[in-house]
Amino acid sequence: MTQPAIFFEEVNERQGTFHRRTVILGAFAGLGVGALCARLAYLQLFETQRYEKMASSNQFNFKLLPAPRGMIVDRNGAVLAANRPNFRLMVARDKGVDPEATLHTLAEFVPLDEARQRRLLKDINSAPKRAPVQVMEDMSWEQFSAISVREPELPGVTADMGEVRVYPYGGAFAHVIGYVAKVNREDVDNAGPSPDPIMLHPSFRIGKQGVEKAFDAELRGKAGAQKVEVDANGRQVREDPQGDIPATPGKTIELTLDIDVQLRAEEVFGAESGAAVVMDVRNGDLLCLFSGPSFDANKFVRGLTGAEYRALSGYDHKPLFNKALTATYPPGSTFKTMVALSALENGYDPKTVHVCTGHWFFGRTWKCDQVHGAQDMHNAIATSCDIYFYQTALAIGPDKIADTARKFGLGEIFDIGIPGQKKGLVPDTAYKARRFPKDPKWHPGETPSMGIGQGYTNLNPLQLCVMTSRIANGEKALHPRLIRSIGGVEQKSGAAWGDLPVDKGHLHFVREAMAAVTTGIGTAARVSDLGLGPIKMAGKTGTAQAYSYGAGRGVHGTAGAWKLRDHAWFVAFAPYDDPRYAISVLVEHGGFGASAAAPRAREIMRTVLLKDPEVMKRVETVTPMPPAPDEAPAATPTDPGAKV
Amino acid sequence: MTVSALTRPGERDRLIVKLAELDWVFVLVLSLIAGAGALMLFSIAGSSWTPWAAAHVARFGICLLLMIALAMIDIRVWFALAYPVYGLGLLLLVAVEAVGDVRLGAQRWLSIGSFSFQPSEVMKLGIVLALARLYHGVSAERARLSWWLLVPALMIGVPVLLVAHQPDLGTAMLIALTGGAIVMLAGLSWKVIGAALAGALAVIPPFVMFGMHEYQRQRVLTFLDPESDPSGSGYHILQSMIALGSGGLLGKGYGLGSQSQLNFLPEKQTDFIFATLAEEFGFVGCVSLLVLYAAAIFMALRTSYLSHSHFGRLAAAGVTATFTLYVLINGAMVMGLAPVVGVPMPMLSYGGTVMLTVMIGFGLVQSVRVHRYAEVTSGKGSFV
Repeated sequence: MTQPAIFFEEVNERQGTFHRRTVILGAFAGLGVGALCARLAYLQLFETQRYEKMASSNQFNFKLLPAPRGMIVDRNGAVLAANRPNFRLMVARDKGVDPEATLHTLAEFVPLDEARQRRLLKDINSAPKRAPVQVMEDMSWEQFSAISVREPELPGVTADMGEVRVYPYGGAFAHVIGYVAKVNREDVDNAGPSPDPIMLHPSFRIGKQGVEKAFDAELRGKAGAQKVEVDANGRQVREDPQGDIPATPGKTIELTLDIDVQLRAEEVFGAESGAAVVMDVRNGDLLCLFSGPSFDANKFVRGLTGAEYRALSGYDHKPLFNKALTATYPPGSTFKTMVALSALENGYDPKTVHVCTGHWFFGRTWKCDQVHGAQDMHNAIATSCDIYFYQTALAIGPDKIADTARKFGLGEIFDIGIPGQKKGLVPDTAYKARRFPKDPKWHPGETPSMGIGQGYTNLNPLQLCVMTSRIANGEKALHPRLIRSIGGVEQKSGAAWGDLPVDKGHLHFVREAMAAVTTGIGTAARVSDLGLGPIKMAGKTGTAQAYSYGAGRGVHGTAGAWKLRDHAWFVAFAPYDDPRYAISVLVEHGGFGASAAAPRAREIMRTVLLKDPEVMKRVETVTPMPPAPDEAPAATPTDPGAKV
Repeated sequence: MTVSALTRPGERDRLIVKLAELDWVFVLVLSLIAGAGALMLFSIAGSSWTPWAAAHVARFGICLLLMIALAMIDIRVWFALAYPVYGLGLLLLVAVEAVGDVRLGAQRWLSIGSFSFQPSEVMKLGIVLALARLYHGVSAERARLSWWLLVPALMIGVPVLLVAHQPDLGTAMLIALTGGAIVMLAGLSWKVIGAALAGALAVIPPFVMFGMHEYQRQRVLTFLDPESDPSGSGYHILQSMIALGSGGLLGKGYGLGSQSQLNFLPEKQTDFIFATLAEEFGFVGCVSLLVLYAAAIFMALRTSYLSHSHFGRLAAAGVTATFTLYVLINGAMVMGLAPVVGVPMPMLSYGGTVMLTVMIGFGLVQSVRVHRYAEVTSGKGSFV
């Protein structure tokens, strides 16, 4: 720009200073802008990776995705525990959300009465901001879709699909499979120093009993993560399916149980209390492990009300208790098989005859239910003569009997995968010395009652089934197996635990005697016909005194208070000439073994055999089983130690 | 038409001559900056003209017309209005002290009917005009070092203290620094400048510790270490730096800045709009914008350089100093170099008040340019 001539170069101090200082001001401004550029270069060119990381950790969140819980199936693949979709409705407190109005609106679509709305409102207001509170679950598809389409207009409301555990057979498998339930404080504490974060997920359920608990880690699988973009308020903006980490589903657990057998057991027990265990005598597979009465595991998943829980825990038939494993009872006359085997193993001549007059004096008068007359060991087993076994036991002594009993798995805890087994007791002189320091000596008078499975002897139904299986198998020291495979990996066979160190001839003798129990003069002759032609069952009855020995009067049969009645036992194997399956049935306070336990065992065993094609090849026609008499031979209430 | 037309009285008063004399490149630069602002406001509203971008463009249009209109006003009118504007500003500051609205914990707003504004904005212009008017009639010796300097010191000090008491430390600082810049440009002795700087440096730390409100102190301390409290008081600065840093060389792309689009960046449409731009356009975009600002500063400064009246020089330079301070303070704040003070990026940030203030100021600058040969006769030193 040319300056007009009339404005000559002024020598003006103020102007000169101003011009110099303007340059300084300009330089200062330039310096400032330059400094900003330098700072930008530092942040945007050198530190950019660090800030990119921070930006993306702002932007993306990972939401835990629970893995589908592994299924539990029976030996044929029938589903015993699975997951079903569950449509849930949740409301969260947030900015711009009026929970009261929201609930009011929701009540138009789902049943929410005033009282429930009030309670939910309290829950929502006390929950942390944006933490969803479940308003409803198990909505119908119609309800779910009605709310789903309105979700954009209903801030704070989410309707989603979760999974919930379902047990299609309710009670039949409840004791074996257990159930899952909400995680509580204890579960988190037990999970160690760094619990799986999925445990804090509101929809996560943890195994609380049985297989669900014992194999929780396998069934749980590995939680995945869903990558979501969130805004500064933590609201989900969109999903990023590419960034998802898929969940690893839990493993399928295959049990050795057979659903038909188990359901039949549930059926035949009805309201009775007791347990039934069926084992394959060739490999130890448990086809049935039932305890009755049972409970509906599905209710535990949902959460029991206080009243429901009190009803279950207060009932004297103890439905929450797995009687097949946890409860021990005197084995009664079923134990005579052990006494006989012990006698044979120790050189006792089975031809030895004792005469039963109904009484026998040894320190006091010991009684028998009947007058059996002169009997050898075979017949004494068949008729379950107490007089014979008082004397046999006395001749052998407690330590040798106990030694034999232990070879058959009595008093042993087996690793079948699920917890809760009770060891029971097979007494010997060492036990007496240990347990009763004031009276450590085993008195000869204590031996006769051991000979008939009373006294200190206490066993659980699983152990008696193992015993019967080993007698029937004759070769192997079978172990029971409940878990057939985990995630397709076959578990150790029950036949792979070594041999049974007992003379084969002696075992054959006992099997023959057990066959006699179910025929002719035997105690269970009239209740053991399977209706399967040549396929017969061999067994042993037991009626065990429930009320404490020598301290009061027990009740024989079904007369008197339930609590005081005898426990009924029946152990059996079939087919008796080619053993494949063994069973033990306990009916708690059921009365006589022959009347309460044996008919039930027969029903269950028939179901097992009907499912075995090789057994069925031998059967020409299946006939209905002849009806069992209502009551075993009328009993004369006598000495509480004397049993059928 | 030539520049010489401006030298001929009569001809230079013609409107067409004046309009031609406007710095149209400067207008273009301002439009580019405001356009960039509108672009970012459109982006952060989720590609929407509402609520910000359209209003921003409209305001800028009105303000630009206002600026041109003000540029047409004779410099002598500005000269005559200098003290009245300052006086009005002072009056309003006293009024706000007495009856002002309390918003966000500070008494800054004055409502007249449904219209509310911050009187401190009037003072930003008033201080420039009044000091330029004052120095217009003062000799170089007095302006350099004399007891007379107490007069400008008082003129700066009173409004600064009033604004600081609201409390609005950002604006108080801005007024103080603008006033200081004019006093410096008018020829203050370097000795005094050095002493004042040393004094300020000595006073700041104790003032921060004992003279500030708790939230102000917190801001300063957080600025020194923003990551010490990332979710609390350090949140603004940290999120802003994340937005900037993650932008990288070329940015994340228009409309794709996660920090601003997902609301992690607070005040994204006002004080922190520069961070939004930095995130989406990166280093290249930021430097381009800063070059535009530097150009505007340079052009405004040049206008003051060319003025033949001392009032014109000082007034234009004063406005430029205010503008420069806006840019530098906001830039430093967004980049984590200064504590969070409520100073927006002029023309870029959404907000009418600051845009109006700045554009009125530029109206004055353009008036100085158009009337750079005019004789400002009142008082001493029109051509001296």
